[in-house]
Amino acid sequence: MLKIKDLHAVVEEDGSEILKGVNLTINKGEVHAIMGPNGSGKSTLSKVVAGHPAYEVTAGDILFEGESILELDPEERAHKGIFLAFQYPVEVPGVTNKTLLRQAYNTIAKAQGKEELDPIEFEDYVAERMEVVEMRPEFLERSVNAGFSGGEKKRNEIFQMAVLNPKLSFLDETDSGLDIDALKVVAEGINQISGKENSIVMVTHYQRILDYIVPDHVHVMVDGRIVKSGEKDLALKLEEQGYDWLAEIPSAAVNGQK
Amino acid sequence: MTTLKKKEQTFLIDLLDFQDSLNGNSEFVDNVRMKGADEVRNTPFPHSKDEEWRFISLRDLYSDSYQHVSVLEEKDPDLRDYFLPECANSRLVFINGVFSIKHSSVEALPDDIVIDSLARLAASDNPLVKEHLNKYTTFEGDVFSSFSDAFLQDGAFIYVPKGRKIDTPIHLLFVQTEADITYFTTSHSVIVADEGSEITVVEDHIGLGDNKYFNLPVVEVSAGKEAYVKHTKIQRDSQEAIHIARTSAFVEKHANYESYTITIGAKLSRNEPRISQRDEEVKFTVDGLVLIDGEQVSDTHSVMDHRFPHCESHQLHKCVIIDKAHSVFNGKIFVRPHAQKIDSFQENRNLLLSRKGLVNTKPQLEIFADDVVCTHGATIGQLDEEEVFYLKSRGLNEKQAKELLIYAFALETIENITVDSVQKLLVDEVHNFTERQLHSEFTI
Repeated sequence: MLKIKDLHAVVEEDGSEILKGVNLTINKGEVHAIMGPNGSGKSTLSKVVAGHPAYEVTAGDILFEGESILELDPEERAHKGIFLAFQYPVEVPGVTNKTLLRQAYNTIAKAQGKEELDPIEFEDYVAERMEVVEMRPEFLERSVNAGFSGGEKKRNEIFQMAVLNPKLSFLDETDSGLDIDALKVVAEGINQISGKENSIVMVTHYQRILDYIVPDHVHVMVDGRIVKSGEKDLALKLEEQGYDWLAEIPSAAVNGQK
Repeated sequence: MTTLKKKEQTFLIDLLDFQDSLNGNSEFVDNVRMKGADEVRNTPFPHSKDEEWRFISLRDLYSDSYQHVSVLEEKDPDLRDYFLPECANSRLVFINGVFSIKHSSVEALPDDIVIDSLARLAASDNPLVKEHLNKYTTFEGDVFSSFSDAFLQDGAFIYVPKGRKIDTPIHLLFVQTEADITYFTTSHSVIVADEGSEITVVEDHIGLGDNKYFNLPVVEVSAGKEAYVKHTKIQRDSQEAIHIARTSAFVEKHANYESYTITIGAKLSRNEPRISQRDEEVKFTVDGLVLIDGEQVSDTHSVMDHRFPHCESHQLHKCVIIDKAHSVFNGKIFVRPHAQKIDSFQENRNLLLSRKGLVNTKPQLEIFADDVVCTHGATIGQLDEEEVFYLKSRGLNEKQAKELLIYAFALETIENITVDSVQKLLVDEVHNFTERQLHSEFTI
């Protein structure tokens, strides 16, 4: 579904290189976790996949369903089914969750040649999706993230994901700022959404969320590269031993591919 | 035709020759006019050298010669599109400065409220007019106020008696029609809410064409003891018009005056809301929204005068500036000696969406009491790239994302307006404004 090949990316403003040759393959239905210390480039990788204008890809490629998406605008990537749950979701006071979600849903549906939903149909659809993350109905009438706690914002990201039903989701530190109860709700929601057709990439510092969402693959990112890939037990090892032991490893095979 | 004089000098003064012809219907009003005319003769018109006018040029106002609006033939335009459903029978309409009986109706309002054309009331020697006219203004020495007095012709007069709470909003619709001459028009409205009364007024200025005229509306408001006055002003004058307004409000003990001023039209507009606290324990709001493009200039010079202890005041003034438009904000907050326990909030936020747009903003606090909280701030910014990206990552295209963010920016100043159709109308105006811009050249 997603193939990242030797991806190099710089911050457009100052030219500093953040991604220094990332290789990653994600197949349909898989759950991946990308871990790594602060500043290793995990969040940047998510943003570059989503098309953030602050970064420029200088080498390599990102293929989604076999086609390069480097030239696509963020909304075109969203139309193809790529979703980014933000580490710091943006507040949009004055625009209700319902308004944004319906507009987003219908724009994507239209681009994918699916049927758009009128307000009443959409309300039914959304009511069902709200149960996934245990949202209360009045939430729909609130402004997007305005005045939300950190935990509420994260839950809202997963709710948006549940409504938009993307093929590939990058969850950028969705677990940070959540207390244990909220974490369980969010993790449960992610598990419900993920399936044979959807792939999920969790970008995280801690293996805590991986107690609830079991990844098929775990990758470690250090200094702009994926230096080690493995299965769930790799996350536990990182939790126990930290990242220092990996610093010496220059690069690693990913999913058996170099 | 009068030819243009090259040097910067105003033709406005020439209009005074015409002033006499308005006299004869009410001795009281005639006297107001003559006094106004005398003041005009003794007061210079302001120029950009004057501190209070330094950010804008009045050349456009002074360089044309105007004829008084009364020389126009009577017009009867179709106004149905501009009527508010809530105000079907609580509406006064003025067309080119003259009261229109045909389009006005006050049947929905209780009999004990006095609501009529000021000219009609004055002609019948109504004592309320004499008692209240020019009692609640704080524009001493202001030549435009005097000029308005010199041509005092008509306007709305509303008196709400003690304890009368009126749920039905009142629509004051001031219509300017197309004309093949450049004309000067004025209106003077008086809104008096007596003790414990409540009233909602929508002051609405509309230009039907794209012609040039000079509109000088004066509105004075008295929010009596424990009264609650909600005042929304919408300025949708012609894109070539000049709109110079004077609005003043006196707020008495335990009263609340809430005002929202929306500026969309006119090539050059100047609003001067002046709120004067007249006793302890009052609340007032002077919020504003300005949406300007092309070569529009909008200037707001406001005064919040805290004269007694215990006052809560609020001013959120938001502007969206596109193309070569120019927005000016000067917000004065006075706190007089002994006016302790004042809680005053002022913020001017500007969304500047083009390289050639211009913003001047100047909060001005003069505080002579020591136990007060006055917060103030001014920001000038573009759309936040991170916010645009967030919305685009949800599938919205550039246009949809920007439109949503401009809408969100503007909404904060209009969501407290309690007349539903006005809210809807303004949401549409925001939409149209954004739509226009996103079609034309748009740089962030």
